[in-house]
Amino acid sequence: MRARTAAVALLSALVLAGCGSSTTPPPGPDPAEPARPVGVQDPAVLPTGSAAPAGSCNARASYRPTGALPAPGQMPSGSAMARIQRAGRLVVGVDQNNFRFGYRDPKTGNLVGFEIDLARELARAIFGSPDKVLFRAITTADREDAIREGRVDIVIRSMTMNCDRWERVNFSTEYFSAGQAIMVARDSPITGIKDLAGKKVCAATGSTSIRNIAAKAPDARPVSASDALDCLVLLQQLQVDAVSTDDAILAGFAEQDRGTKILPERFTEEPYGMAMKKESVDLARFVNGVLERLRTDGTWTRLYKAWLSSLGPTPQPPAPQYRD
Amino acid sequence: MGLVTLIPEVVTVTTLVREPVTRAPAAAPAARLRRRSAGRFRGTPGRLTLATVALVVLGLATGVAGAVGVRQRADLVDGAVARSGELTVAAQRLYRALSDADATAASAFLTGGVEPVALRERYQADIAAAAAALAVVSGGGAGDGRGANAVARIAAQLPVYTGLVETARVYNRQGVPVGGAYLREASGVMRERLLPAAQELYEAVSGELDEARGDAGAFPWFAVALGVLTLAALVVVQRYLTRRTNRVFNIGLVVATVAAVTAMLWLGVSALVTAGRLEASHDRGSEEVARLAEARIAALQARADESLTLVARGNGQAFEDDYAKMMDRLAGENRDGGLLVPGDADETTRAALAAALTEARNWDSAHQQVRQLDNDGQYAEAVTASVGSEQTSTATIANRLDEQLAGAIDHNSENFRQEVRGAAGSLAGADIGVGLLAALLVVGAAAGIQRRLAEYR
Repeated sequence: MRARTAAVALLSALVLAGCGSSTTPPPGPDPAEPARPVGVQDPAVLPTGSAAPAGSCNARASYRPTGALPAPGQMPSGSAMARIQRAGRLVVGVDQNNFRFGYRDPKTGNLVGFEIDLARELARAIFGSPDKVLFRAITTADREDAIREGRVDIVIRSMTMNCDRWERVNFSTEYFSAGQAIMVARDSPITGIKDLAGKKVCAATGSTSIRNIAAKAPDARPVSASDALDCLVLLQQLQVDAVSTDDAILAGFAEQDRGTKILPERFTEEPYGMAMKKESVDLARFVNGVLERLRTDGTWTRLYKAWLSSLGPTPQPPAPQYRD
Repeated sequence: MGLVTLIPEVVTVTTLVREPVTRAPAAAPAARLRRRSAGRFRGTPGRLTLATVALVVLGLATGVAGAVGVRQRADLVDGAVARSGELTVAAQRLYRALSDADATAASAFLTGGVEPVALRERYQADIAAAAAALAVVSGGGAGDGRGANAVARIAAQLPVYTGLVETARVYNRQGVPVGGAYLREASGVMRERLLPAAQELYEAVSGELDEARGDAGAFPWFAVALGVLTLAALVVVQRYLTRRTNRVFNIGLVVATVAAVTAMLWLGVSALVTAGRLEASHDRGSEEVARLAEARIAALQARADESLTLVARGNGQAFEDDYAKMMDRLAGENRDGGLLVPGDADETTRAALAAALTEARNWDSAHQQVRQLDNDGQYAEAVTASVGSEQTSTATIANRLDEQLAGAIDHNSENFRQEVRGAAGSLAGADIGVGLLAALLVVGAAAGIQRRLAEYR
C-alpha cells in the first residue's frame, strides 16, 4: 500500500518535472509584428455623427471686422485681445510636422512655415512684435479641446472650416484653400478613389479626411494615425496602400519622399481657417481684420511664395466671406 | 529506502548491547531478544560482526551523502549562482543600455540637424552594449520559457529600433520633418516593446538567482542525520567493547569516531558559512545592485521624458507626467530618499547614494527651470538648458547622477562576486575531505572491531 502511494507520488513528481522543463515558450506578442507609430488605429475608429451636416451653413463665412484695427499694444479694454496683451504673449496651437506649413526645422530646432509666419503676424498686430508668441504643438484630434480648455488662444493648424466645427469654435476667414487628394507609392496600381476598395487608407485621427474616406470610399479600410505625418511613415513601411488627406499636406509629403505620387483627383474642398473660442467673437473680428490687411498689403502673397511655391504658381488669396 | 532498512538493525544493536550488561533484573526479556536474533549473530563475535556491518554501511552512507551533497551545492554556487548573478548583471546592463539609447536619441534630435559627435558615439556604445548583453543572456540560456521569450522579442525588435533611428537620422540631415515621425515611432518601439521585454527578462533571471541561492545555501540535513546516527553507533559499540574487554580505548574505533566528528563539523560549518556568504552576496551584493539599477533606470527614463517633452513641444504633458513619476520613484516625493535612501548599504554605497540624491535635487530644480523657459515660450533657451554642455544643464547633472550610480553598482557587483567566491571557497575540498574521513571511519571501525574479533578465534 505504502509502496503504491510512493510510486504514485514519484510518478506525479516526474510528470510535473516534465512539465516544468518544457522548452516551449509561453505565448507572447509575435516578435515579428511590424513596428507602428504610436497611436495608430487599424482599423480606424471613425468619429461619430456630426452636430451640423455639411451645407447647413456657409462654412467659409466668418465675422466681419469692425472698423480699423486697434494700434499694437493698445487693445480695447475688456476684449479677448486685451486679455492676451496682458498675458504678454499669444499662445498658438500649431503643427510641428506639416512640411512648409508648420514644422520643426531639424537644422535649427525652430518652428517655421506658412502658418507659423501667419501666427507671428497676429502677434505683431497685438504686441507690435512678431516674437511675442508661444507655439504649442498639438495633435489633429486635440485642436478643439485645446481651444475649449484655454490651453491656446488660437489654433492655426490646417483646420478645415465646416458647419459641424462651427458649432463649437469660431473660425477666421479662409487663409488657404485645400482639397482632399490621394497619395500612393509611385508604382502603385491605384489611380483614384474608385480603386481604394479593400485597400488600407491612412489619415489623421479626428481629421475631416478620415470622415471623407469613410463617406466617399466606403469599401476602403481606413487607418488613422495621431499625426498625418505618421501616415507617410506607414506608407513608406508598406503598412498602408494610400494616404488621403489635404493636397497641401500631401505636397509636403511628396517633397520629403520622391518615391510617392499625388493622384490628380481632388474630391473635396477644405478651406483652412484659424479657430478660436466660440465666445470670443471680438477676437474673430480682430483676426479677420489682420487677415484683410495681410491680403491687401501683399504679406499673404509674400509668405505663400516663401513657403508654398512648390504647390505651383501663387494664386490670389482666398476671398473673405462674412456672416456679419 | 536504504536508510529505512538500516534503522531497525541499529536499534537491534543498541538493545542487544545494553540490556544484558547493565540491568540484571531485565535479563529475561533480554534473553528473549537474544533468542529472536539470527543465529549467525549470536554471541559476542556475532554481535561484533553485526556492528562491523552496520558501521561500514552507515559510514559509507554518510560519506556518500555528505560528499555528493557538498558537490551539488558547490556546483550550484559555481554554476547557477555565479551564472545567474552574471546573467542578472547582463540583463540589467541590457535594460540600462536600451533606456540610455532612447534618452540619447531624443537628446540628439533636440540638438537639431547634425547631432553632436558625443551623442552619436554614446548612442552607438549603448546599442553595442545592449547587443553584447543580449548575447550573454541568450548564450547563458536565460532559464525558463519566460526569459527565452523575452530574449526572442528583444532580438527581433532591436534591429527594428536601430533601423528606425537611422532612418530618422537620415531625414533629419535632409532637414525634413518626417525624421521626427520616425524618431517617435522608434521611441514607441523602445517603450512599448523593448523595455517591457527587458524588464521581464531581468525578473526571470533574478528569480532564478534567488532560487539557485536558496538551493545552494540549504543545510545538508540528510548527511548530518546519517553522521549523527553513525556517531551514536560508534559510541554504543565502544561502550560495549569496553565492558566486554576492559580495555578503555580501541584505536581503530577512536580514529573512526574522530573522523566522524570531524566530518560532521566540516559539513555543518561549511554549510553554515556558505549560507552566510550567499546571504551576504544578496544583502551586500545583488539586492543593492537591483535597487541601484532600478534607480539608474528611473533616472534614465526621467531623462528621456525630459527630452521627449521638449521634442513634443507643448504636446508633451504625458512625458512630463512620466518625468514626475520617475523622479518621485528615484528621489521620493519630497526628494529626500526614494530609491536613494541609504538603508543597509555599506559605507562606499552610502556615499554614492548621498551624492546621487544631491544631484537628483539639483536636476529637479534645473528641470523646473527648463519647464519654466519652455512654458514662457523661450524654447531655444529651454533646449540649451536641457541638452547643453554647461555644468548647470540637466544633461550634465543627469550624467553626474548616472556616474554615481554606475560606480555604486560596480562596487556592489564586486561585493557579490567576492561573497560568491567566498561561498564557493568555504565548500572547497569539503567533498573530498568528507569522503576521505568517511573512508577513514569505515576502515578504522572495521579494523578496530576486527582486532577484537580476532581474539575470539
